[in-house]
Amino acid sequence: MKVTTFDQIRTMASDLFGVPAESISAASSPETIETWDSIQHLNLVLALEERLNVQLSPEEIEQMKSVGDVVKLVEGKLQAVPK
Amino acid sequence: MAIVIEPYREKHEPAVAEFNRRLREATADRDLVFSQKAIPSWLPRTGDIPVWNEFFLAVDGDAVRGAYALKHEQIFVRGKGVYQVACYHHALSEGIIDRSYARVGSLLVRDALARQPLLYALGMGGYERPLAKMLSALGFSLTLVPFYFRVVHPYTFLLEMQVLRESQWRAVLMNAAAVTGTGWLAIKFAQGVAGLRGHPGHFLAEEVTEFSEWAGDLWTKARDAVSIGSVRDANTLRVLYPASDRYLTRVRVSRDGAAIGWAVVGERREDTQKFGDMRVGSLIDCWAAPNDAAAVVRAAARALEKRGADLIVSNQSHHAWRRALENAGFLKGPSNFVFAASKKLTELLQPFDENRRSFHITRADGDGLPRNF
Repeated sequence: MKVTTFDQIRTMASDLFGVPAESISAASSPETIETWDSIQHLNLVLALEERLNVQLSPEEIEQMKSVGDVVKLVEGKLQAVPK
Repeated sequence: MAIVIEPYREKHEPAVAEFNRRLREATADRDLVFSQKAIPSWLPRTGDIPVWNEFFLAVDGDAVRGAYALKHEQIFVRGKGVYQVACYHHALSEGIIDRSYARVGSLLVRDALARQPLLYALGMGGYERPLAKMLSALGFSLTLVPFYFRVVHPYTFLLEMQVLRESQWRAVLMNAAAVTGTGWLAIKFAQGVAGLRGHPGHFLAEEVTEFSEWAGDLWTKARDAVSIGSVRDANTLRVLYPASDRYLTRVRVSRDGAAIGWAVVGERREDTQKFGDMRVGSLIDCWAAPNDAAAVVRAAARALEKRGADLIVSNQSHHAWRRALENAGFLKGPSNFVFAASKKLTELLQPFDENRRSFHITRADGDGLPRNF
């Protein structure tokens, strides 16, 4: 079965925030995940950059308001990478 | 609306006041406020000065969601020269009180790194505090700057040192130690034994109104004794400790008519939660060749004692200054004063673990005065 970007990010978020992956949806955000604070937000940014090999600008970090936003952002960046 | 980081201008002042109000209402921490004024009250950029503060805001339409300050300064790195660096300080995010702004902290620190990759932070309250954790995640190298203290008046110390009197039984013990004199004896003995280890030789200490070229000469002569230190030439010292600042005491130390070092001392701001009604003096900044550090520490301590300090504190990282404090009867206490160097700055300081013994970091570095001493 193909692992989607959402699956990858959900796994990362689950590890970082210490919550079950099943409880994370596209709508999950710092408002719904108690452990998603400023430090974990930075850790999420760093994990995305390291594990998915993307670079995030301040403007892009600013867009990361929910898991769905993160998935959309990363998918856009991955598609833009020349094959 | 997207949040953007931009320099703090006068037009933002009402929004910053509102940001401060939200932070103040949601937390009990009186330090969680940003400058009400766009122009820094301490070290504004005027003309061609070597050290200055600059403020930035995370602006969300008409609202401010975060803020930070950069203190631009020059540091000397042994064997490499002088570099322009910046200290990241007073970072505040709406994320502290509203998790929907959790991203603001990342935006602030990344923006600061983009503006000055040779970035450091100092203080932070310990490794477990959010900023220290954040900088660690970003690959900063962290090390503690040791803390030293000397009790001048044991009776007052035992009755007023609130952080040591948190439990009822301990407060009772400290009261008993104060009243019976056993506390006085124990503290004087511990400090006296520590102070027997060395004598600085004869020296003369005098208070001066301003640092002039003699201080610059001392900087040039002794700077190779430190692996890293903020530049303390006469020009920089005049900006940091201007003659107009009557709150601080500048001490010139000489031997046989020649200047051998200097110190800046002052009384800490009141902090009744920690220190009760004690008068706490701070050895804020100092400079000398390593062999003359002992004389400067003793001169600084005398100046503070003369002003009625009940307790004298200092943070020093360089091994010569630490030894000088210990030899002057200072005791080492737990430190929460963290120095954090960005990856780029760490590259300059390699080998970091070996060099950190001779970093010259004092209470005057970082966000320094007037808040942090």
